[in-house]
Amino acid sequence: MTNFIITLVLGVFFGFSLNKAGLTKYNKIINVYRFTDMTVLKFMMTALVVSMSGLYALRGLGLITFPNVPATYIVGNLVGGVIFGFGMALSGYCPGTAASGAGEGKLDYLVPGLLGFLVGAVIYGLSYDKVFPQIAAIANYGNTTMPDLWNLSPFLTVLLFALMSLFLFYMIDRAGWQRKERE
Amino acid sequence: MKFILNYIRKDEWSPYVAGVLLGLVGIAAVWASNSLLGASGAFENIAGMIGKAVAPAAFDNMYFNFIMPPGITVGVMLVIGIFFGGMIGAATSGTLKWGKKDAANSDEQWKRIFGAQTWKRWLIAFFGAIVLEFAAGIAGGCTSGLAISGGMLLAPAAFLFITGMFVGGIPTALLIYGKRF
Repeated sequence: MTNFIITLVLGVFFGFSLNKAGLTKYNKIINVYRFTDMTVLKFMMTALVVSMSGLYALRGLGLITFPNVPATYIVGNLVGGVIFGFGMALSGYCPGTAASGAGEGKLDYLVPGLLGFLVGAVIYGLSYDKVFPQIAAIANYGNTTMPDLWNLSPFLTVLLFALMSLFLFYMIDRAGWQRKERE
Repeated sequence: MKFILNYIRKDEWSPYVAGVLLGLVGIAAVWASNSLLGASGAFENIAGMIGKAVAPAAFDNMYFNFIMPPGITVGVMLVIGIFFGGMIGAATSGTLKWGKKDAANSDEQWKRIFGAQTWKRWLIAFFGAIVLEFAAGIAGGCTSGLAISGGMLLAPAAFLFITGMFVGGIPTALLIYGKRF
């Protein structure tokens, strides 16, 4: 029960941040694929830098242990991502931003979004046996992280990711890596 | 204090500020409940619930019995939270769409590209949503459950997924926008 309430509160802050970042707007999502508005990338990479720094620091201090790390199976992660990008460019949302946008009262998020996710879940669930195990078996590295897999220092990996993000933010905001919207 | 209140009322924050908030939520999820954020799983739980009620024989398979058991799970609670988070966010900036005339199709850029018809927006969004949920299943999570949650633990899966998102999204945007890309 406590877990349910904690998760509900986390969800509220999560949905709130999606709304304030502007990710519940069709144009923000599609324009990242057109390189005319990189808000989504800035938002995600900032979140990643903050959370990975915090989590690796807390684990280093022995205050937390990591939950089950999402599994790496190269073909499935990659191909799933490609299909996901296709769907995202069509609808202009993903499951999380659709839920947040639905809360705002956007009916094109609430109705076709919810129904579509449910239909997609049924299709996936009913075809699971025939599809997933085969894909997940290819180049499967299990529930691993990059520092563990390649024997890297977690500290240096996080630092490198943070520096890479800062460089990217600089290039987007100051050096014209964001295309101008045509009139 | 006044500055903070005024900032909360803004319709759109700097993505860096909003990103810090999401990062802290990601840390809190691990710290407080040793769990990861993830939105797509909830729809699988609910789909299983409906399926088992409507056609129990068809939904009596490995997936809906063991991999994603139906029910009101923690994941469903997260999505309900996200829903209200979006509502609160829009309420603070006075941009709630409930009951507004353009609630069914509100994006100006969309209307410029596809036209103002609501049915078109809903049809394409519906198809996109089916694709998204199926793809999240194959990939092992969606933007939140894999890209953010996996990325913050430095799982290679997350970065493969993000790469895939661009590989799939860019040509689709090109196809839709053509000369207007």
